[in-house]
Amino acid sequence: MNPKKPLDPFFWLTVVCGSVVVAFILLPLIQMMAQPSLQDLKEAIQDPAVRRSIWLSIYTSGLAAFISFTIGTPFAYLLARRDFPGKKFVESIIDLPIMIPHPIVGIAILGLAGKNHWLGHLMHQVGIYVMGTVTGIVTVLTFVALPFYVNTVKAGFEAIPVRLEHVSRSLGASPAKTFLRVTFPLASRSMLVGIIMCCARAISEFGAVVIVAYHPMIAPVLIYERFTAYGLKYSQPVAVWLILVCLVLFLLLRIVTGQRGSKTAAGKKPS
Amino acid sequence: MLRGLLVVLFLATGTFFPLSASAEPEGKLIIFHAGSLTVPFAKMEEIFETRYPKVDLLREAGGSTKMARMISELGKPADIMASADFAVIDKTLIPQNAKWNIRFATNQLVLCYTDTSRFADEVNQDNWYEILGRKGVIWGHSDPNLDPCGYRSLMVLQLAGKYYNRPGLYDQVMANRPEKNVRPKSVELVSLLETGHMDYAWEYLSVAIQHGLKYVKLPNEINLGNYNFDDFYKKAMVKVTGKKPGTWITRTGKSCTYGITMLEDAPNPEAAKAFLGFLMDPKGGLKILKDMGQPPFIPCRVPTAQMKAQLPTVLQKWVEVKN
Repeated sequence: MNPKKPLDPFFWLTVVCGSVVVAFILLPLIQMMAQPSLQDLKEAIQDPAVRRSIWLSIYTSGLAAFISFTIGTPFAYLLARRDFPGKKFVESIIDLPIMIPHPIVGIAILGLAGKNHWLGHLMHQVGIYVMGTVTGIVTVLTFVALPFYVNTVKAGFEAIPVRLEHVSRSLGASPAKTFLRVTFPLASRSMLVGIIMCCARAISEFGAVVIVAYHPMIAPVLIYERFTAYGLKYSQPVAVWLILVCLVLFLLLRIVTGQRGSKTAAGKKPS
Repeated sequence: MLRGLLVVLFLATGTFFPLSASAEPEGKLIIFHAGSLTVPFAKMEEIFETRYPKVDLLREAGGSTKMARMISELGKPADIMASADFAVIDKTLIPQNAKWNIRFATNQLVLCYTDTSRFADEVNQDNWYEILGRKGVIWGHSDPNLDPCGYRSLMVLQLAGKYYNRPGLYDQVMANRPEKNVRPKSVELVSLLETGHMDYAWEYLSVAIQHGLKYVKLPNEINLGNYNFDDFYKKAMVKVTGKKPGTWITRTGKSCTYGITMLEDAPNPEAAKAFLGFLMDPKGGLKILKDMGQPPFIPCRVPTAQMKAQLPTVLQKWVEVKN
């Protein structure tokens, strides 16, 4: 058996396809990142509206991820551990927000939250407004990002052997205690990955948000507004900043999860 | 595989359009138009496509300023551009992307509302500005920087202050309009009215009629719909963003006049000419506009004889020279 077969056509096919994929993703991004001069970038970041929008993007996406974490974790656990009639149906409902075109999400939420709908009427009476508010932005972002969290964490829970939970239960721990002391720590890595996925999805959302809230502007809406009002030259620097900030944030999160992951991997299971 | 890939890339970049056009109009015809022209242009598309079955009319609607920028800045391919303010074509597209500009219709501003709007039962021509200032009333307009309807709404408010002789009117009313009530284009406000997120919104008369909204019709002196009052309209001035962030230009009030042009590098000039001929026919497109609340100019107008000479020959019979 020859370990080195450099001319194997299948190997080269995979390499070629791989380079096409990488080039397809990187070329437009590099082109855009390379366009603005340092002066443009400096002017952009000195603009309070730009800083405000990037911060709002991070803040609302973080909130969406936090909400997904709070209500999505127990739900993902239920889906991973229990079988019940209609489970397949429930699972496909979770995937719906991934498939629905984004503007439709915005329109649907606006329609529900308007004064002419009983729910919206109720919300208006207690002072909850969705149009043009941070509440509205977070609602939309959670809607589109939640599936990414639930699906990731569900897979994480499924990977944890049930017998570990059984051992804990047989030693006298309650289901809640077992979840908190055994399952939760073992699944923490998948939760962090889920949070990253959820944040990433939320921060990139535009179509649904622009319908619910034009002002206050999240970064993608500001980039769009800059483009329409001033043209390409003044939207690119903002886009570059958003990409840079996101890159750093996600890199940080990756590093954090990487460390935690290797610790658990070293301590619990070799993988 | 490579060919498949090329096709995918081609489609992905959206550069796929017919390479040649023959004498008989056929193929794709791309029209960019103001959001407020959506309904009449949809109707025209229907009739035009039965007349020219080989042509596939593709329309893209948006704020006129934005649409013009798509052409001048991004080089998006388009055959025809119809703007809610003919001046946008003059400023953004001529001379680089277009050579002439035909004025074909007018419009006016109205204040729209629905049955469920607060104070819907008492609003009228004399008290609307007072209602817009009331606490709890949610009203909005489109973004003056992106949509001519936006700055025109502000102009109406300024003119109203002069017409009703109430100097503080503009500031009082604007104080009751948080920034979140400003949306990119005016047609969007219709759905906010219909879902009850908003009580009142500034729209063109045509939009109000096409969407079956209730509206307050304003006096000619302030509705920006009658060019005989252009001298008074001129007194309204709105600052909108200029060419770069932090710079401003001033828009001066004038009557709402729609302009249309064919782009210099139109991918399908034959079909474009056919469509323009249909649009400017008093029994064709102009009639549709008339029925839908956008009073057309019959015949359409160009400002100079020089410009008329630059029009494609087949179109010259449909226009008169009138400034």
